[in-house]
Amino acid sequence: MTPIRAGYLSVEERLAALEERVNEQTRTVDELRNRDALKTQFLSNVSHDLRTPLTAIVTHAEILRDGILGELTRKQLESICGIISGGRQLIGMVGEILMYARGAAGQLSLAPTEFAIGSVIEQVANQVEPLAVKKGLEISVDVENGLSPLLADREKITHVLSNLLGNAIDFTEPGGRVWVNASHATAIELGAAVLIEVGDSGIGIAPEHHELVFREFAQVDASASRHHHGTGLGLAIARKFVELHDGRIWVESTPGVGSRFYFTVPVRTAR
Amino acid sequence: MTIGAHILIVEDSALVVSALRILLEDAGHRVSDAGSVRDALETARRDRPDIMLLDLSLADGDGLSILESLSADGMAPRVTVAVTGRDEPHVIARCKRLGCREILIKPMNAMALPGQIAEWLAND
Repeated sequence: MTPIRAGYLSVEERLAALEERVNEQTRTVDELRNRDALKTQFLSNVSHDLRTPLTAIVTHAEILRDGILGELTRKQLESICGIISGGRQLIGMVGEILMYARGAAGQLSLAPTEFAIGSVIEQVANQVEPLAVKKGLEISVDVENGLSPLLADREKITHVLSNLLGNAIDFTEPGGRVWVNASHATAIELGAAVLIEVGDSGIGIAPEHHELVFREFAQVDASASRHHHGTGLGLAIARKFVELHDGRIWVESTPGVGSRFYFTVPVRTAR
Repeated sequence: MTIGAHILIVEDSALVVSALRILLEDAGHRVSDAGSVRDALETARRDRPDIMLLDLSLADGDGLSILESLSADGMAPRVTVAVTGRDEPHVIARCKRLGCREILIKPMNAMALPGQIAEWLAND
């Protein structure tokens, strides 16, 4: 068959060629979607399967730590506590991967209850306080009086706060400060919402990375990531949780001065 | 009865079984274990447990089918507790519907189990 030069194609032939290209690209998109779904399913399966051996490792180590099989020497105890800490760190990372996989598969949902944000802040601050004190950091909490109760998923809001506060402690050098403030949002564009600020006097984030930190698998500074091992999913999950509540999350930061992470939770009332 | 209960651990990970066995025997309980649906049914029918710690994913089938079969025979343990790595809402709802007292999500705090068992038995 004699090849037809493009310039001489009829309108019908051009339309047919265009349609074929569209079909081809649709097939490519479908295939990529299928592969992405497979990857998400794989992450989910692996995370679930990792939970069983992790349970065994940590439980066996705790049995030894608690002296159920006999007293340990100080050095043996230190070593066992190291295994437990490492195991718990892994458990946290597996949990994050699982959460990410669920978010990617659109399987996250909210279980709202009514609660005071102050109680969640207090709970999370109490949990991380020993870590902050050990690192020589000053930690403070300030919750505005008369804040409206939230109708939100308490577990997910706790997760967001734990992640932000954990990062603040991780990325702040000894002698620094971390804080959590909660107040009614005053900016009109935020609507009726509670505004939570988690701040630190740590290493800060360059302006060009303020959006990047909320993306999956992002750790903006290679040297920082060596010191702060993680999945790189924490802030991406935090953003997902806040957005599920129709809230907003953002960061204001200056390198060498510190960071202030903000998120809002719209105020709703139970019917 | 708060101690000396018969506990059946249905779990296909020998590593998890051995850890739980040490903990629960140390707390004064008698422990049996089964790593499959078939073994679990056979053990539970031969020697009815007070408490069954039930892993939901077993090599030869669904862990909850064990509870369903035992309940149908009137042989259900006094307390069944699901132990699973899957915490999706539909899994939890099914466990509750079939009568599980609690659902422990792996990796659970196993060290708290002896205390929880005493509580489950006391409130049964």
